[in-house]
Amino acid sequence: MVKTSSQQEFKQGWRDGLSDYVTAIAWSTDGHFLAACSAAGEVVLISLPNFQSTLLQTETGYSVDCLAFSHDGKFLAIGGQDGQVKLWSLQSGGPELITTLENKSVWVDRLCWNPTTHELAFSLGKYVQVWDADTQEVVTTLNFEASTVLDLDWRRDGKYLALAGYQGARVWNTKDWDAEEETLDIPSATVAIAWSPDNQFIAKGNLDSTLSVMEWSNPAPWLMRGFPGKVRQLAWSEVPTSLGVPLLASCSGAAVVVWERDRDERVGWASRILGNHQGVVRAIAFQPNSLLLASAAEDGWVALWHRGTRLIQALTGASNGFSCLTWHPQGHQLAAGGVDGELLVWYQAPRGQGFGKRKF
Amino acid sequence: MVTADIPSSVPVTVLTGYLGAGKTTLLNRILTHEHGKKVAVIINEFGEVGIDNQLVIDADEEIFEMNNGCICCTVRGDLIRIIGNLMKRRNKFDHLVIETTGLADPAPVIQTFFMDEDVRSQTSLDAVVTVVDAKHIHQHWDADEAIEQLAFADVILLNKTDLVTPAELDELEQRIRSMNAMAKIYRTKDAQVEMDSILGVGAFDLSRALDIDPNFLGEDAHEHDETVGSVAIAESGTLNFERLNTWIGELLRNQGPDIFRMKGILNIEGEDNRFVFQGVHMLFDGRADRPWKPNETRKNELVFIGRNLDERELKEGFRGCLV
Repeated sequence: MVKTSSQQEFKQGWRDGLSDYVTAIAWSTDGHFLAACSAAGEVVLISLPNFQSTLLQTETGYSVDCLAFSHDGKFLAIGGQDGQVKLWSLQSGGPELITTLENKSVWVDRLCWNPTTHELAFSLGKYVQVWDADTQEVVTTLNFEASTVLDLDWRRDGKYLALAGYQGARVWNTKDWDAEEETLDIPSATVAIAWSPDNQFIAKGNLDSTLSVMEWSNPAPWLMRGFPGKVRQLAWSEVPTSLGVPLLASCSGAAVVVWERDRDERVGWASRILGNHQGVVRAIAFQPNSLLLASAAEDGWVALWHRGTRLIQALTGASNGFSCLTWHPQGHQLAAGGVDGELLVWYQAPRGQGFGKRKF
Repeated sequence: MVTADIPSSVPVTVLTGYLGAGKTTLLNRILTHEHGKKVAVIINEFGEVGIDNQLVIDADEEIFEMNNGCICCTVRGDLIRIIGNLMKRRNKFDHLVIETTGLADPAPVIQTFFMDEDVRSQTSLDAVVTVVDAKHIHQHWDADEAIEQLAFADVILLNKTDLVTPAELDELEQRIRSMNAMAKIYRTKDAQVEMDSILGVGAFDLSRALDIDPNFLGEDAHEHDETVGSVAIAESGTLNFERLNTWIGELLRNQGPDIFRMKGILNIEGEDNRFVFQGVHMLFDGRADRPWKPNETRKNELVFIGRNLDERELKEGFRGCLV
């Protein structure tokens, strides 16, 4: 049987470290840069292919909690406990700090770039500000009202921005910021929100151990129950299944649960539980261009699941646990951060090279 | 798979009391006492005095209602978010102090430590400490939050004793005792109290002995007009676990919103171990504890603190569970 590309083994490559818990890690969409930040306040930018690292910010004592590249890899933004949002331009030679937005006595917990423009949305307590990196101006300030914003996500076409928090989500139309937002209510709080890459679905992971999925054109949501705890993270596959709908992965406690749209309308979404982890799962992500799912957990393992189903490889290297992970946009490399500051990259070994593998 | 070292649990002290009662003075005493340790402080209002500490986090109180089928409770969304964020650091902190506003209901704070999986696994609630302005508390007897802060407390400081007469203090202490039979009460001036009395109390540690004021059990001194009060039950005998379960279940369903706190040590039929439990409103936490010692008298001790509690009915309900 021919091995599918996703079944090729990953091998550990580059490795480095920060001084404390890696709070976020991201690969730029052009694949040129990898960036990570820590709970001690460090921000590191690693340029590929040589893994040359530049410390954009040294330890400050204030955790940097979120970090993201713009869709074209031209900008890098960070936010954290000091209330600052910093933006680096990566367009000319080296990284250049172009903007520092100061915000008093508020943590910037979440930020997210518009997938089509240079608009950056970041949380400021109960508000979200949208900042245009080209014009260097505030585009709008949105009031979530019900609580501090716990997560946010732009739809892939940039037409909607969803904020999550107490009592669910609120969705703004980005063409008309002043128009009244749409509310997607739930009886507790939404802690994770994610649009599907085909713009059809929006998924919410909730504090009351439920997951709600809504088809954007249909107001009746599916509600999935039975999770062992709060539904912390969500990830959609880029690739759809044979039904034309992407897979949805969710994690709660030590469990990863993968949801697949079923042909049978009475089933709705069929689930399978990937239960091999023994610690809280902190991050999940599908390999771009495949249904290979990676999950990083506090048990010290990054697990790789073929088609979101079968455990095919377990990667180690952070003995006290992993905290975050990110795929190279082409999917042949995977990077993860650890609770003790570890930064690791694995690469998919190219086939047909070297001496054939011995069969055990 | 490798099991990671279990992180040591960070103790949490909750400070409640009206504005001006002396919370900030007490907080500063704690920070001075714990000099050299890392103390994180979460405040919901700017105190009267500035606190010199890098780890002071000012956040709005965010109450999240959680209606999950039959259990309704409220938690503090701000605490879940902030504690989750702070606990990532390797050299986290040694102690967390949460100072609530004078108008805060303590229940959501406590319930957060029962309900949220992250908060529960990484921290342990040590005690709810309530500071009372002995001179001015009389103006607040009508306010629910003043009463609730006393009813939920593990430790109560009757502060500003220099501003009232000993007779007034006695009366005040008795009144508070009738509401809360479990709390330790200290009389203080300038919130001067032995730190051992408010730190490391372990009031939510189920294996600690139940501390019912012996005077409360014996006499009828707890005649009062307050709707908030304590009911203590101390009886020998053996309990049928199933009947007990049904009784407590019904009690929480019917009177959960009115039961602020409950605690107990029980002697269950056929069990060699003590059964210990505690509860906050509808949240209940119970388990088998250490074995009864050979020379120990097996008995049952329970305390309920709440609003409109019917002592006779509670005692009858309890006796109905005896074998």
